[in-house]
Amino acid sequence: MASADDHNDDIALAGEYALHLMDADSRRAFQARLDAEPALRALILEWDEQLVPLAENFAPQTPPKTIKAQIEARLFPQAAKPGWSLWRLLAGSGLAAALAVVVLLTLPQDPTTAPFTPSLSAQIAAEDQSLIVLASFAPETGVLRIDRQAGAAIDGRVLELWLIADGAEAPVSLGVLPTEPQTDITLPATLIPAITGGTLAISDEPVGGSPTGVPTGDVLAVGAVVSL
Amino acid sequence: MTTRDDVEQMILRVGLGDRAAFSALYDATSAKLFGVCLRILNDRAEAEDALQDAFVRIWQKANTYAVNGYSPMTWLITLTRNLAIDKLRARKGGSVDIDEVHDLKDTGPTPEAAAVAASERSRLDGCLSELDADRAEAVRGAYLDGYSYDELATRFAVPLNTMRTWLRRSLIKLKECLS
Repeated sequence: MASADDHNDDIALAGEYALHLMDADSRRAFQARLDAEPALRALILEWDEQLVPLAENFAPQTPPKTIKAQIEARLFPQAAKPGWSLWRLLAGSGLAAALAVVVLLTLPQDPTTAPFTPSLSAQIAAEDQSLIVLASFAPETGVLRIDRQAGAAIDGRVLELWLIADGAEAPVSLGVLPTEPQTDITLPATLIPAITGGTLAISDEPVGGSPTGVPTGDVLAVGAVVSL
Repeated sequence: MTTRDDVEQMILRVGLGDRAAFSALYDATSAKLFGVCLRILNDRAEAEDALQDAFVRIWQKANTYAVNGYSPMTWLITLTRNLAIDKLRARKGGSVDIDEVHDLKDTGPTPEAAAVAASERSRLDGCLSELDADRAEAVRGAYLDGYSYDELATRFAVPLNTMRTWLRRSLIKLKECLS
């Protein structure tokens, strides 16, 4: 009789385990037995399979769309947003290069406009110097003066200028550069604080600029914004 | 519609590290498993966390699936339910407020409909109906709402040890009926 009682005990224990009724200590003690006792594992499996019809009462609910991306970001962190991480890598190397060379701009004064008094600048340069664009910025007026000193867009393509704010996840487009080497871009007030400590970059894009709002072609040149 | 075999194949491929299969498995089963988390935890933010943890665990454990003998939806539901109850028990001062999420809308057919044969369902229902009504209710409450012995004792207004004895005897009786 003792062994039948023991068996009934195990049936009840396995059922309690399957229902998750045990407190944490009892559950751990029971789990410790499982490695050595395949019969006990089989009992739990039986209970799980026999009780699972109750799960029909769990009404399905579509989870928010963001959950799947969060799970994949947890499991496959290096695969998440590959475009952006490549972008950040490039921005990082450009930062180091540009910090080494601070270029002070001397641009021809246009007598018809208010005096341009930049306090920030960046040399946006390709590693092989095939494209060099000097940018200088006057925060008071929001004017970003662009002076392309070397290189140009290839036929049928355009150069698009991007700002990557310090710590930002994604670049913001500052627009397509005109074919003339010099131009002024007036930034919206919301972007002005982002220039300080930011990085400027130029990518190769189809005519009209990136259709997606993020760089789609090669990142040709990068440079960190520094104080003059 | 996703069949039981489809889900099984997905789990086996996830066990081999197949991310596309993981994505497909999520699409096919996340609504059901989110339903499990919502019912047990009765809190949307906690249920979302539990669902994330469940799929992380599924990715990590799928390589043990082939040898563990479970049918696919039972394995997924059991894993998720256990995880949600762990979270429920870890909740500080956690008394469970019922009935808030019980009217959730069904979002459509799920693999579980194929996984759970009607005969198994009616057999369990039949065996539960042989128990005293309140004891069958306690078993359902433990399964569906993750009630602990303490909560069951409170809800059925009996001493803790009485509830424990009730349920153990009920489980032995249920098992005799089911086997």
